[in-house]
Formats: sequence, C-alpha cells, structure tokens
Amino acid sequence: MSEQTIAPKVSVAPEQFTFVKYDAAEIVEVVSDLAAKIGLANPIRVVVDETTPLAAMSSTIDGSSSDALITIHVESGALEDTKNFTNFNRHHAEISLGRMLLRAHDRLRPDFDAAPDDDALSLQEEAAWNTYVNGRLERLGVESNRQRWRYNFRNRFGFSDAADARFDELWNATDLSWSDLAAP
Amino acid sequence: MAETATETPTDTPSTARAPFAPWDRRDLPGSFDVVETARRVGNYKWTEMKLFEALGGWIATIPELDVKMRLGTHCYHHAWHADLWHKRLPELREMKPERLTVPANEAMERFIEAMTEPEAPELTIEKLVGVYRVLIPRFIAAYTYHQNNTSEITDAPTIRTIKFILQDEFEDWRDGEMMLQSLITTPDQVRRAANHQARLEAIMVEAGGITGPGSIG
Amino acid sequence: MRQFFPVEDLARDERFVQTNMAERMKDVRAPRARSSENGNRVSAKSRAASARLTPDRHDASDAARSLMHGIMVGEIQALEGAGRTAHDFPTGDGTNDTIPFELKLDMARQAWDEARHVEISVKLSDWMGTELGQFAENTVLFQAACSNDPVLRLAGVNRALEGLAIDVFTQMKEFGDIAGDPYLEFCEDWMLADEVTHVKMGSDWLRKVTEKDPERRAKALEFQQVVDKLFSFGGSRSDSDESPIGLARRFRELAGFTDEEVDDIAQMGYDALEERKAAVKLAQAAAGAVAV
Repeated sequence: MSEQTIAPKVSVAPEQFTFVKYDAAEIVEVVSDLAAKIGLANPIRVVVDETTPLAAMSSTIDGSSSDALITIHVESGALEDTKNFTNFNRHHAEISLGRMLLRAHDRLRPDFDAAPDDDALSLQEEAAWNTYVNGRLERLGVESNRQRWRYNFRNRFGFSDAADARFDELWNATDLSWSDLAAP
Repeated sequence: MAETATETPTDTPSTARAPFAPWDRRDLPGSFDVVETARRVGNYKWTEMKLFEALGGWIATIPELDVKMRLGTHCYHHAWHADLWHKRLPELREMKPERLTVPANEAMERFIEAMTEPEAPELTIEKLVGVYRVLIPRFIAAYTYHQNNTSEITDAPTIRTIKFILQDEFEDWRDGEMMLQSLITTPDQVRRAANHQARLEAIMVEAGGITGPGSIG
Repeated sequence: MRQFFPVEDLARDERFVQTNMAERMKDVRAPRARSSENGNRVSAKSRAASARLTPDRHDASDAARSLMHGIMVGEIQALEGAGRTAHDFPTGDGTNDTIPFELKLDMARQAWDEARHVEISVKLSDWMGTELGQFAENTVLFQAACSNDPVLRLAGVNRALEGLAIDVFTQMKEFGDIAGDPYLEFCEDWMLADEVTHVKMGSDWLRKVTEKDPERRAKALEFQQVVDKLFSFGGSRSDSDESPIGLARRFRELAGFTDEEVDDIAQMGYDALEERKAAVKLAQAAAGAVAV
C-alpha cells in the first residue's frame, strides 16, 4: 500500500481510507503538532487499521537515536468521533496519538531500556504508563478525562486509597525512569 | 357440694375504660355519605389516572434530563394513588369501579385536555405549570378538604389513604415547584408560566375543582 | 399531546447525538478483526483470549465505560417507552388496542424503575469517567416501544430488550465483582432484580392479554424474535466466548423464559456471529483489505 508523506517526517498509511471517513493529511497535522509540543524530532509513521472499530494502539522505535523511525499502529476506533461513528475526531486523535508519542519519547531515554515492547506490557504496566503519559499530555494542553484514567488504574491496581494515591503520584510526575514507573 | 366464692370486694376499682380515650377526639358526624364518598373517590381516581398518563407520555417529549427522570418517578406515584382509589371503590359498594371512574364534569375533562396539550420540547415550563402550579395544588386542597370533612370514624379507610397520598402530593409539588423555579429565569418565561397557569386555572374554576362545585380543590 | 410519539422526535439536550440500527449496520468494520492478517499486533500477555467483557481484556475499562453509556441511554429510552405505554392506550379489557388498568399501573411502576436506573447509570458513568452523551445513542430500544399494538410492545420491549438487559447486567455485575469495583457490582445487582421483574411483567401480561387470541400472541412472539435478532447483531450477545455478552440463563428462567426460548436466542446469537464474520470477510475482500 502506498504512503503519503504530507509533512516532513510524518507519514500515514493508508493514504485513502475506505471503511472510515478519515483524512490522512489531517492525521499528519495532528501528529506534527503533537510532536512539536512534545519536542520529538524523529520521523514518525502512523499505520491505521481501518478494518476494526476497536481502539488498540502500539508503537515501536527503530533504534534510539533522534532519527530512529517511530511507528505507531492504531486501530481506527482510537481516532474516531464516538458520537458520529466512522468520522474522525481531532481531540480523540490527539489523546490517542499523544499517548503513543509520549511513550515513544520515553523509550528514547536510556533509563527506559528495560521497558518491554508495547505488545508485551502487562495490564498493570500499561495502566501505570498511561497514567504518567496522560498527566503530562494534560499539562501540554491536551485535556483528557482524568476520572477515565483513574478508573482504568483502579481496575488494574485495586479500588483503594493506596491505588488512588499512586495514581495521583504518577499523574503529576514529570521525570520518571522505567524502574520508577514499574515499581509496585 | 363445693363452696363457691361469689362475693366481689366492693372496694376494688373498676378496670372498665371508656371506649374512647380522653385524648381521642374523633367524632361521628361527616359531610359525606357512602354514595357521595364513592362519587368523590371516582373523581379522584379518574384525575390521578389522567395525571399519571400525562406524566408518562411527556417523559419522551422533555429534553431536560433531570425533569425527565422526576416525571418517571412522579408518574408512578399517581398511578399508585389511582390504584388505591380503585381498590377503595368496591368497599364503597361500587362493584364496577370503572362506572365511577369519571371526571366531575365536562369542564374538568376540558381542563385535562388543555393541561396535556403542550408537547413540543421547548414547552417544559407549560407542562410543569399545569401539573405543579394548578393540578397538584388542587389535589392537595381536595384531599385536605375531604380529610377534614368526612367522618373520622365511619370513613377512616379513606382518611388513611388520603394521608399516604398527601405525603406524595406535597413532596411532588415541592419537586415540581423547584424544577419550575430553576427553569423560569427570564421575564418572558415568567409571563409564559403565568399566562398558562391563568388559562388552566380559569377552566378549573369553571369545573369547580376536581370533584366539581361545592367544595374546595 | 399526540397518542403515539415517533422515535425521531425523542427529546434530548445538545449533548446527545442519536443514531439507529440501519446506520450502525452500514459500518462494515469488524469488531474483532485484530490478527496478523491485517498486520496489527496482538499481545499474548495482555490480551484476553475471549471477547467476553471481563477485566482481563486490555481495553476492559474503556469497553465497560462504553457499555455503561449504552446502558444509560437504553434506560432513558426504557423510561420513555414505559411512560408512553402508560399513556398511549385507553383502559379496557385488552382487546381493540386497549390495555387493562393493572397493566397501565405496571407500566407506570416500570417508568419509576427505569428513572432510578437512569439515575444509577448516570452516577456509574461519572464514576467510570464517562461524560453524558460521549457516545452516540442508538434509538433502537424506543423504536421497539413505538408499535401501535401494546402486545407487540410487551414482546419487543419487556421480553426482548429487558431480556437483553438481564444478559448485560449479569455480565457487568460479574465484571464489577472480578475487578473489585465496590459500586458496579452492587448497582448492577439491584438493577438486575428490577429487570427480572420487568421481563416477568411482560411474560405474564403477554400470556394474559392474548389468552383468547393465539394469532395475536404468535405475531407478538414473532416480533420479539425480530427484536432479539437485532440485538444479537454481530453476535454481540450469545453463549460463545467470541461474544462480549453472554446469556444469563438462570435469570431469564426466573423472568419466565422457557429453556427452549433461551436456546433459540442462543442459536440466534451464534448465527449472527457467524453471519457477521462472513460479512466482514466479504467487505474486507471487496475493499482490498489493508496491507501495511
């Protein structure tokens, strides 16, 4: 399948969408804006699976240098307008793609070497990292429903005051290593 | 032959008590006989039915979520009242309750038609005004009038039912009034509410109340 | 106020966007198409083996939030539907589109129950981090409550849809229990008790009102099957682990379903699942499937 490179360093596949009403150029724009906010200079490739309405995502990095290619696999539901199915929603896309980009940004740090690949993350590891990432995303101006992430965190770590305190700690954190994040 | 002790000591105080304790001031006289009570109960049932049907029908037409939910709750309250009256009628010698399940008069029927007329989603104020500023205050008055005028002894079952119902009516009225106060925020809305209330009140006066002329409510 | 109220006119505030089954069916994406076929990755460690909505699914909390929103709007429509049935038909013996007085009372009671369910669902949605109207509202439930024959409403709403609610609430109750969510399990348990009552109301009234009219009963049961099939759309509810929602056989039995009826619904769900899988394969082939 062909790929369209609309903005420098960011490409989206597929170039034309069949199952959903998405525009590759708009996705490129969203990713470019987010990358600028995060301070990510690496080339980025976004691969959208439009055959499913689910919303799973993962990212990989081809190396650890500033020119290593970041590839984000995303199911179409992660970019969708949940009020108008099959339509693109910019804010939803920012929350989803921003999360992946911040994770990739973390992975470029040497103290994240031990982090498992996205697809190998445990449910708890994923919930903790999502909390850390979403807190930072909010502070970058991408508003997210904090209660949604708290609920996700509670489902993984328990419905307790201790879990809530840990959630707040991760949400407000700015400079964690993988071992900080993965600590029980 | 065995001996029998027949004598009661004359100095033992009597244990016989008055049938009505000194603090029980209930009395026999009442304004309504059985036939009149049944007629009134039939009017109550008819009106409570019309009210719960209207509330049920309006739920889908109201965009305000809090109002929508309250109407669902109140719909059942009035259905329960209708059921209580339905069950009271056979006790008042009316074995076919539907025979007396009628409006007091034609004007009362017109009142219900006018009250249930608003349907559009932007007419929540009119819907609530009809119920909570006209009909329910009338119910409170009618039930209170009945409770205070009927025989406290012969018609005790009706009084007991009215007490349960009045509890709901007061609480529902308060809910409705609070919803209205939160919805009426501009002079135009004040006018809309007042005009609609006046229009309905006029028909209600013509009807003479829920049970017709000659009483309050 | 009109005697019958069309689904298109359901009143909502600006947060809600409505859709319907026809619109949903136009979306040919496959809910479970996540495999090496399309190049996407599947984690062996974090992805549950079945599609059943359980906390070990990687998307568990989001899926539960979305389902809870669906429950909430479903409860709003159930409230509206019960209210309309209390309103739309004159009181009578059940013939000629009249309904018995006691059936009206049951509908009013159901309206109160559904109002409480909306209250519960709104609170639960907030607890789970969902905003009102965050997801599109499918108006199919109210559509089933729009029939001009009250018996069809009993079959479509009280038996088919409230029956589905029994399945959904059982699944959510289990979800809350396993996750240790102190509110979810508690609330679903209470709502489940009400739903069993509503389905039983439907079963009892359907039997009673059509006692001397077997043709009307058959028509109603046929309508129930149509609605049941709609709700098995895509195999979203069946005994198969590939369906997010299972069939709550025990509670359905309490609500007046026979074993045979439950078996039929199970088969319908399984068939719908297979149909959906086949349709998706066709659609993907036609679209040249995504290759990356």
